[in-house]
Amino acid sequence: MASRVLAQCVRTLARSSARVSGGNLAVRAVAAPGSASHRSFSVISNAERSRVLEQSRVSIVSVWCRQYGDLPPLTLETIRDRVMYVLKLYDKVNPEKLQTTSHFMKDLGLDSLDQVEIIMAMEDEFGFEIPDADGEKLMSPADVVQYIADKKDVYE
Amino acid sequence: MASSSRTQVIALYRMLIKESSKFPSYNFRNYALRRIKDGFRENKHVDNPKSMDQLLTRARESLALIKRQVTVGQMYSSQRTIVEALGAR
Repeated sequence: MASRVLAQCVRTLARSSARVSGGNLAVRAVAAPGSASHRSFSVISNAERSRVLEQSRVSIVSVWCRQYGDLPPLTLETIRDRVMYVLKLYDKVNPEKLQTTSHFMKDLGLDSLDQVEIIMAMEDEFGFEIPDADGEKLMSPADVVQYIADKKDVYE
Repeated sequence: MASSSRTQVIALYRMLIKESSKFPSYNFRNYALRRIKDGFRENKHVDNPKSMDQLLTRARESLALIKRQVTVGQMYSSQRTIVEALGAR
């Protein structure tokens, strides 16, 4: 009776591990017939069970991986989308006339004070400081995207 | 002066906006930001160097004042107003 219970445990374990691992011929042999002499069965089932447990333990360990906390990686596409979104929200910018290549002062009619405000909005959006000397050179959305990609090491 | 007046004005504008954004009080913060933007914009076309110097000194004094008031406000900050709570959501 005990060996029959043991055999049933081994059969369920063997079925689950046969699904997980490639399948061991001996394990399948244990799972398949289900009837053999009681004593030999229990001997086999003990050995098989330990091997099956090891196999399942190994497969569980291989699934563990380290997890670190970080933001999702930036791509040129996402940077461009975010820059354009921030610019569209700015009330002095006409969203229809806005394009990636439009110059802030010549095409969009903004002045240097507006450009300072835009660069500060970009600093808030991307979470890093842009120094004054670099900030006043950025005159179009494409420049901003290129600068952020340089600073954040985004290549494509 | 090593830096030209244009770069000085831009640098002052940046610093003023940065410092005013640190006010914990909703009213002070919004008033300061609005007054800075309006003040710089209305004096955009001033050419006279003497009046420009006067305006720049006033801006520097306001910057020092804002920095002091930000520190005081952070020491004695009160609850967030309902407008800020709704805006944050």
